[in-house]
Amino acid sequence: MESLEGKRGLPRIKPPFPATHGLYNKPTVVNNIETLANLPYIVGRGPEWFASIGSPPKSTGTRVFCVSGHVKQPGNYEVPMGVTFRELIYEHAGGMRSDKPLKAFIPGGASAPFLTPSHLDVKLDFESVAAAGSMLGSGGVTVMEEGTDMVWAALRLMEFFYHESCGKCSPCREGSSWLVQTMRRIVAKRGQMQDLETLVDLCKNIEGRTVCAFGDASVAPIMSTLKHWRPEYVTLIQEAESANLIKLEPAGVRH
Amino acid sequence: MDNITAEHVRLTIDGISISVPKGTLVIEAARRVGVMIPHFCYHPKLKPDANCRMCLVEVERMPKLQTSCSTVATEGMTVRTATTVVHNAHKSVLEFILANHPLDCPVCDQGGKCDLQDFSHQYTATSRFAETKRIFQKEYFSPLIETQMNRCVQCLRCVRYCDEVMDVKALAPIGRGTMTEIKSFGAHPLDCEFCGGCVQICPVGAITSRLSMYEYRPWMLKRADTVCMFCGDGCQITVQTKDQELIEVNSAQGAGRNSGDLCARGFFGFRAASHPDRLTHPLIRRNGALVEATWEEALEFVAEHTKRLKLSHGPQAFGGLISGRCTNEELYLFQKFMRLTIGTNNLDSSARYGHINGVQAMRSVQGTHRWTVTFEDIVQADVLLLIGTNITEANPITGLKVKEAVKKHEATLLTIEAIQPAIGTISNISNLSKQHVCVAPSQFGAAVLGLLKAVVEGNHIDSTLRQQAPDYVSAVSQAIQQLDWEDLAVSTGVSSESFVQMAASLAGGRRVVALAGQTLLRSQGAYGVCLNLLDLLLLTGKLTAQGCGFAPLAEENNDQGAVEMGAVSALLPGVLDLTDRDARDQITRAWKEDLPVATGATLIEMIGLAQTGIIKGLFIVGENPVGSLPPQTGVKEALSKLDLLVCQELFLTETAALAHVVLPAASAMEKAGTFTNTEGHVQAVRPAIDPVGDSRPDWEILSAFSVFLGAPLEYGDAKEILKEIRAVIPGYGSLGPSPIPPAVDPAAVDRYMNEGYRRDLATRYTLPARDVRQDGTVQLGLTQSLFHSGKLSTYSTGLLQIEPSGLLQMNPVDAARLGLDAGDRVRLSNGQGKFTTTVKVLDRVPEGLAWLPDHFAQDALRLFDCVVDPDTKVPSYRTASVSVVKTA
Amino acid sequence: MLKEKHATEIEEIISRYPVRRSALIPLLYLAQREEGFVSEAAMKEIAGLLRLTPPQVYETATFYTMLNLKPVGKFHLQVCKSLMCGLAGSDTVIGWVKTKLGIGPGEMTTDKLFSLSAVECLAACGTAPMMQVNEDYYERLTEETFDRILADLKKDGTCSLKTGPFMWPEPANAVKGET
Repeated sequence: MESLEGKRGLPRIKPPFPATHGLYNKPTVVNNIETLANLPYIVGRGPEWFASIGSPPKSTGTRVFCVSGHVKQPGNYEVPMGVTFRELIYEHAGGMRSDKPLKAFIPGGASAPFLTPSHLDVKLDFESVAAAGSMLGSGGVTVMEEGTDMVWAALRLMEFFYHESCGKCSPCREGSSWLVQTMRRIVAKRGQMQDLETLVDLCKNIEGRTVCAFGDASVAPIMSTLKHWRPEYVTLIQEAESANLIKLEPAGVRH
Repeated sequence: MDNITAEHVRLTIDGISISVPKGTLVIEAARRVGVMIPHFCYHPKLKPDANCRMCLVEVERMPKLQTSCSTVATEGMTVRTATTVVHNAHKSVLEFILANHPLDCPVCDQGGKCDLQDFSHQYTATSRFAETKRIFQKEYFSPLIETQMNRCVQCLRCVRYCDEVMDVKALAPIGRGTMTEIKSFGAHPLDCEFCGGCVQICPVGAITSRLSMYEYRPWMLKRADTVCMFCGDGCQITVQTKDQELIEVNSAQGAGRNSGDLCARGFFGFRAASHPDRLTHPLIRRNGALVEATWEEALEFVAEHTKRLKLSHGPQAFGGLISGRCTNEELYLFQKFMRLTIGTNNLDSSARYGHINGVQAMRSVQGTHRWTVTFEDIVQADVLLLIGTNITEANPITGLKVKEAVKKHEATLLTIEAIQPAIGTISNISNLSKQHVCVAPSQFGAAVLGLLKAVVEGNHIDSTLRQQAPDYVSAVSQAIQQLDWEDLAVSTGVSSESFVQMAASLAGGRRVVALAGQTLLRSQGAYGVCLNLLDLLLLTGKLTAQGCGFAPLAEENNDQGAVEMGAVSALLPGVLDLTDRDARDQITRAWKEDLPVATGATLIEMIGLAQTGIIKGLFIVGENPVGSLPPQTGVKEALSKLDLLVCQELFLTETAALAHVVLPAASAMEKAGTFTNTEGHVQAVRPAIDPVGDSRPDWEILSAFSVFLGAPLEYGDAKEILKEIRAVIPGYGSLGPSPIPPAVDPAAVDRYMNEGYRRDLATRYTLPARDVRQDGTVQLGLTQSLFHSGKLSTYSTGLLQIEPSGLLQMNPVDAARLGLDAGDRVRLSNGQGKFTTTVKVLDRVPEGLAWLPDHFAQDALRLFDCVVDPDTKVPSYRTASVSVVKTA
Repeated sequence: MLKEKHATEIEEIISRYPVRRSALIPLLYLAQREEGFVSEAAMKEIAGLLRLTPPQVYETATFYTMLNLKPVGKFHLQVCKSLMCGLAGSDTVIGWVKTKLGIGPGEMTTDKLFSLSAVECLAACGTAPMMQVNEDYYERLTEETFDRILADLKKDGTCSLKTGPFMWPEPANAVKGET
């Protein structure tokens, strides 16, 4: 709405909500294209028909999932909700690229916490994914094979969040930059053990304290990779320590 | 009681129950119970932005912490600000904000008054941030405003202030994320109103004043709360000094009539007082030259010559002139000195240049000499009519009240101004107008007549008034019907439809305030136009209604005080007519001495009398008629003929240079007293530094004269004079936070409607003469600049950095027509003389007009004719037709 | 001056919205189409057209990274470097640019034909690795297709490989999906 008004794309403070004070301060309904694309069919064939597809009670109908990463046939797949990730990845998307075992996958876009092979049989519906500790989000399923560096993967996503952070509120603006810098240091084997604690703290301090949900989303990759693959972080830091590569930049300004 | 509960809500903050008006923000409610919630981005003047996240609090039944700056208090709400969760949240947000902040406090001018420093101290914040801090290329914003964007916490208060309050929009957040930087446009230096608002509102040291850079720590400074010495708005300023040095001026949020807002003059103009050219010693003319003398010698000289002249020529051989920049105490003592010690009513002040037009009009119609409204009424008005105000430049803080009314409260703004709506580097009030008519200053009167005609024809006349004063209504109606819409359209360039719409808006308003500014008040026929404006309010029933009124704007800081102190020939203290027997008796009783009987001469009359040798001695206090009046008035020759010219001055002005004795006066920064602002509010002036050199406050000098002349008017300090003023004008200047405006006097209105209007109705309801513009000519107007005030500001180093000289400002269309580009040298000429200057192209100048800032126009004055108003004796010389030719 | 050249289009853009400022981003795109980037002169002109101050235009122009504030090459390569493309080898694509054109992110070839930016997600994760050249998408890049794209662009100013569509199994005329 801000962009449409020719402004910087910053979140507005709510309340008031768009439904009462939206575009040009007029009541506004904001909908995803996905929702609108479903509408003609629901209207045409009736809600019962739509509800008969998928995984009732809440996750009905179909969704388009964009499978990316280390699969043989990446692309967009429209499937009824409720199929399992295993089915989506191994049947529709042709399975793993080099037939290596699957190491991790993101079930619903960059802001969804990473899941592990043990979650492959989770159903692609809102409730099941939430129960597994993640979310279905945008429907972007990213698959990573064995051998993928999870710290690197988290950094790549963090860099995305840092770039996309609009800068309006301090926790997200400063937090994303701080997290990226610390992650880069760890990946570059210049991390310290206490960085891990700082990462967790920073993530917790961003969560729930920002203007919009972007802040909450931005901490998902680091939080979930730390949860499932903490040893990878530790290894990188230990390598750094043993190679005596730690050279902390002094804090403060340099003009 | 029911009413109160309906408009109030009760909530609990940290266990304390409080009732606040509906719509109050939690952070404000907390402040009321003494709970200060830390914040950066919140500011009471601005819409909540909730970006810093510092003010998070727990609100019962809300799962997440809420920003108290954007959460409205609701009935039954329970807020907790002192829990561990909240404390940790504050601490963590502070850690984020501190992450990229350079810890360069030792070299930061904000040190000691920095919110970030204070909160860090409070939360003993330590930073675990071990990464590289962001660095912006250091850029100079302007010669006056320093930016250190590395220190910025991106609260955007400066940007929001510049837009929401000032309507300037010169600052913007540039870039994204941590690299968001406050800038103006690319690498271009800031070009704006230089109100200093961004400097004042920045919670950290990201935007600071270059005038005082690296000069102080806050605790080294001594503060004096006083009143700005420039325009009539009467802003409260806090002058900060280090020993005798003027370091900085600011104004606390909520302070004074300006509520902490200032303009460039107030914020950056203060060093006019400490200019090296200040007169520091008395000067006496010996062998044709002014030479330094002691006070004793100078006072003896004045006394001796005064006595001699008075003995041989009588008191009527004297005259006196005082500046509206003096304090009330000085103005009062001046007129008392002239009337008693010298014995003449030949005295005048700079209120004569225009302000008196508005005052006399109010006296004639509504029986007050002050506004019947206040700044608060402007803010709360639903319809505002501005005529010839150029408000942004002439009265910027009154302008902010208008902006607030329009921007925050959606008031309908109607403007009749010699300004074109255009986006520029400074705000333009006509951009906010619902209906704007652009009229040349000479035709403001015609526009008011158009409005009156539309009121009469549109049947907008108040029905009670019709019954109450049928003769008046029909006389005005008849007079206005004589005017033809076509003639009006030719005169104003505005169609009848515009007037009809404007009249409908005006008549539909509930709280209507009409503001008349100096562009109108100083123009020819302004007194009549003011009367017509009052007719307009009277006819539409807006003169006496609550919140409605007429508000003429004063140019100099104490123009209003000058009139109220009786420092004009025909008026006694308390704005009583000299000819009124009761009034004379009252003053005589108070002074225990008889007043001179003979009518006094006004400014231009005194010049005439000096020219013919009738006036032989002139006392001038802070006025510079030689530099202000066109040479056609013969002012210089007249003053040169005097046997005694005594000047009390800050600087050796054109007038002082002709004097026989020049006495160094103390500026407003160096003396105590009171100023009365444009709305009639009396405010205390306090010294920030000691008088410069051997200078003395004007009242002390006048008092010394009286002693040397053997008729002592002695006072221990300015307060004693104020005490006497209060005895003469009961209750003068209660010095409260806001003025209590007088009500319209119904008896006066009756007198006006029965009799008063008849005197000049026919003349007033005639269209002013039209300017016939010839090819290659423009209508040159002397205008007020935002960056200057009179000539005083041209001694301010800060303001001269913004506007160092007077450029000819022209519309791009005219410039193109005359083949001119910005920066071209041009010669202006007419039958009366020539003047060479440089062109500046400015969108807001209307086509056919050209502006020359008054402050630098001494040498251009010869192009102007001076016409004196037959009623108010106001000399007007603001417009002239000139041809413009590019010089090589 | 944009106004002289595109008077009708500007008018049409402004007429789309009830509030003038809304036309800001479309007009900035128009300026970028004209010069390859948004110049200060263009921002000032747009400010005038929309009755905004230049800083108001500047703040919006600098927020959106798809608006270039500095001159770019005739063909501005924007290679997606986010995780999804990263898994599919976007770093390799950036490497190809370096070896084949000699430029890194933020740089431009001396003949001003090509410039490179490493950008964040362009919403074509299913067809990674991908890049955007000016306003066209080139997806599922291989070294072979990449070479062809560069050659075609140099030669014809365009390349038929632009904008998918891609599906499994690859049909001849399928509709491009979205992410």
